[in-house]
Amino acid sequence: MDSTHRVRRRIAATVCAVALVIPLAACDALTPGSATAVPGPTSVPSSTAVPGGDVTLHLQFADAPLMVDALIAAFEKDHPDIDVEPQYKTFSDYVQNLKLTMTSDTAPDIAQYAVGMTDLAADGHILDLAPYREAYGWDKAIPPVSLDQLTAGQTSEATGGRALFGVPAGLSMTGIYYNKELAAKAGMDAPPKTLEEFEKQLAAAKDADLTPLGVGALDSGGLHLWAALLNQLMPTDEYWDWVNGQKGATIENPAAVEASEDMIDWGRKGYYNESANGTAQVDSTAQFTKGDSVFLINGNWAAGQLATVMGDNVGFFPMPGVQPGSPTVASGFSVSYAVSAKTEHPEAAGAFLDFLTSPEAGQIISDNGFMPPNPDAVKKPTGVLADIAEGHRRAVADDGITTFPDFAAPAMLDRLRSGVQKLISDRVTPADYLDSLQDEWEDHHGE
Amino acid sequence: MGSRPPVRSREARRRWRGYVYVLPAFAFYVAFAVLPALHTAYLSLFEWDGVTLGEWVGLGNYAEIFQDPILRRTVFNALVLVVFFSLVPIVLGLLSAGLLARYRRPGMGAYRFLFMLPQVVPLVAVGVTWRWLYGDDGVVNQALRAVGLDGVARAWLGDFDFALIAVGLVGTWVLSGLCMMLFLSGVQKVDPSLYEAARIDGAGPVREFVSVTLPHLRGELAVAMTVTTVAALASFDIVYVTTNGGPGEQTTVPGLLVYRLAFSEGKVGLAAALAVVLGVLILAIVYLINRLSRDRT
Amino acid sequence: MNTVARSERWSGYALLTVMAIVVVIPFLSVFLASLQPAGTPVVGLTWPERWSWDNYETAWSVAGFSDLIRHSLIIAVGVVPACLVLSALAGYALGTMKLPGGNAMAAFFIAGLTIPVELIVVPLYFDLRNLGLTNSYLGVILVEIALFMPFSVFWMRTHFLSTPMSLVEAARMDGASSATILVRILLPLARPSLMTLGLLVFMWSWNQFLLVLVLIQDTTKHTAPAGLGFFVGQNSTDIPTLAAGTIIVMLPILILFVVFQRSFIAGLLQGAMKG
Repeated sequence: MDSTHRVRRRIAATVCAVALVIPLAACDALTPGSATAVPGPTSVPSSTAVPGGDVTLHLQFADAPLMVDALIAAFEKDHPDIDVEPQYKTFSDYVQNLKLTMTSDTAPDIAQYAVGMTDLAADGHILDLAPYREAYGWDKAIPPVSLDQLTAGQTSEATGGRALFGVPAGLSMTGIYYNKELAAKAGMDAPPKTLEEFEKQLAAAKDADLTPLGVGALDSGGLHLWAALLNQLMPTDEYWDWVNGQKGATIENPAAVEASEDMIDWGRKGYYNESANGTAQVDSTAQFTKGDSVFLINGNWAAGQLATVMGDNVGFFPMPGVQPGSPTVASGFSVSYAVSAKTEHPEAAGAFLDFLTSPEAGQIISDNGFMPPNPDAVKKPTGVLADIAEGHRRAVADDGITTFPDFAAPAMLDRLRSGVQKLISDRVTPADYLDSLQDEWEDHHGE
Repeated sequence: MGSRPPVRSREARRRWRGYVYVLPAFAFYVAFAVLPALHTAYLSLFEWDGVTLGEWVGLGNYAEIFQDPILRRTVFNALVLVVFFSLVPIVLGLLSAGLLARYRRPGMGAYRFLFMLPQVVPLVAVGVTWRWLYGDDGVVNQALRAVGLDGVARAWLGDFDFALIAVGLVGTWVLSGLCMMLFLSGVQKVDPSLYEAARIDGAGPVREFVSVTLPHLRGELAVAMTVTTVAALASFDIVYVTTNGGPGEQTTVPGLLVYRLAFSEGKVGLAAALAVVLGVLILAIVYLINRLSRDRT
Repeated sequence: MNTVARSERWSGYALLTVMAIVVVIPFLSVFLASLQPAGTPVVGLTWPERWSWDNYETAWSVAGFSDLIRHSLIIAVGVVPACLVLSALAGYALGTMKLPGGNAMAAFFIAGLTIPVELIVVPLYFDLRNLGLTNSYLGVILVEIALFMPFSVFWMRTHFLSTPMSLVEAARMDGASSATILVRILLPLARPSLMTLGLLVFMWSWNQFLLVLVLIQDTTKHTAPAGLGFFVGQNSTDIPTLAAGTIIVMLPILILFVVFQRSFIAGLLQGAMKG
């Protein structure tokens, strides 16, 4: 019978197809990881020539969408052949999926540098850009020191010098924003010179029946506050040792205990917005613009938005030190971009990264509240942007830009986020909190 | 095998031939569900970051699950969710069935439609909706403020004491309608003369419920318990979009941690071990529920 | 009717009504929010001053929900027919033929009803990546077929178990082959069961989140729930647009639910019962 035959044949075909899949799906089971090719570090070509023809670059990022759009528009005007497609993700989605994304077949050509890139660099999933540094002369266009955060601790196989896994668009820094009108109401006439003075201002704001400090601790706002306190209390080189995974480094020290105690203490005194743990950073920023709190902990990435909405009513200062003469120390990193090893257009990607070091890009970066890597090439900013530029200048002069604590290990962001939420709600002792961080650190750095 | 009478062997061959129909479904099921599950069990014996070569650690990952306070906490959270996903809806369902057992029920169609609504929409959409309802300006706080309870209003999902309860109540919202409908359609099958007989015996509403309604709902009860318990233990979507596990680890559930450990923290073996523990826990509970419901027959 | 009975009945209805209101409020709240002007803060249940559908346009075109819906449809269109065909075949054999070890085979399928996605998703990602099936709809389709197979086979087997064997016997006497019996006699009778199963499978496929989140990394290829999950993180402050997006994601399944109410509810209740 005809239909029977057809059905049978179809069944047979399906069976064959499926039978092929089964062993394929199972064969990799024997040793996890053995089937994944480990190409080792790979690098870009050492010439700046960009082949002709239309090219589309995919760019995935997590910070400052307005700035990225402006940069892309300016770049595409200079390079009509190259089309850059931005893909924006929120920071937590971005970090959570970064490894999956960058090891997948459809990795974006260009991706924002973040935690986990170090591991990806070591496994050859992102390209060593050192040859471009020489060819394009990036060391001359921007201060070499801003490229040194991006070596992933490696030596370049292509040039023999320092490796390079990203190019910075803007430099970032966290600190405290203040609502000038509300601050005056609380009796504050100038930014605090010391941590103690800042605490007095928080207390004064509380006494004036205002919410002193806005924190968006649902995602990373809380850890920025903790890191800002830690920066003032813990010697900077010890902190660097810990973040970099130096043997014997520990976060279980008196300074970190004190920073954690301060956070608990501020919560007990009611300095934070009531629903800090349920508020995302973007929401805390929006609430601050509405005058919900006197101060706000956030990074310079919020400055563009704050300046637009609040105009002259907003100011910024880095978290003050213990003594009036203490160095300015603040957490910051660069919003940098790395190039995927899977890209088919490393030359076009190189051209885009080179554009980021140009004065034209620097101006766009500065207008969006970020510090361009080459501050001399741009117009002097005004208002809150000037406060930030000044704070950053002081921190750089004091060698006081530290990286964010979540760079210490891939899982550290989760430990910090949940741990700081507990500090805010007075649900953990400093010792237990720091112990959980150190456990994670030892887990990753193998002690 | 070879010495069987030819007739039987031909008959046996004919019967085996039926498996041709089963084979495609079987192959898909084995290739993309059963083998991956076994593969998970295998991966759980390694310490592997997902990229470089793995290292055999035997049952080390399982030991870690039972020692690590965060991992233990997630299992505890899942069990708390069972109360809200399973216990509360079942109690509500039994209550409605008990109250309405003896009556014809006009207008049931409209209720049935409404009660099944939360069942059909994506849980992600449900989570997004509740994330807003629970927010500072959401309906929950609006209602509290309207009745003068301003002091109680808060960002529920960011509150250490209430976040897990808040997430649990989302599950209650989703599953209560299903349980009510299950039990109401269950009591419909009860012979009305049994109620008459109970009333002649002088049974009050409570005794009537215990002696007539409840025994007839045994099957439905087992089903409701199974479905809701699995939904609670394997919850992921709602938690991912409402709290992402916070504040602290108050709402971290095993599913969320499996995802995080495997794909962002580079602890694939540990994630696999947790997935296996979760799978075994679900299997054990389902087995237990069905075993108990059958025993009492 | 005595007073106890009356109060019992009224409190029963009261309970159902309270429950119905509780069910409706979240939907109503999102719907009303979606009609407010974009970017404005919305407090709880607020009647919009002016009905504006702009947010739907924004969500549909600017926020890319049209693509998300299309991707979800592609996957569902792949999954539903495959599930129906495979489960009809397997259910037919397991339900009407006395296969040696047939009960054990049925039990093997039923055991799969309890497999949570969490249990299989980790190795699936790595295995499918090696096969080049991540970031592809085919990968998701294959896994979803497997994931829904236990219930589908079970459902169709139950259906075929309940068809009168005399039909099959009579056809067999006439010399019809097993395939003919299925295609000519049993499938036309199975239409309602297949229809209900198709609706359930479509719903599960539409609502699947974790699997897509892991297997599809390329955000431009996301499905509706996955896209919504990402969208909420980026636009938590723009409630009206977010609400419109949420409604768009729910809409296709809601329309099916309204149209095929009877099959749907029967499927959900009986499906649970039989499982």
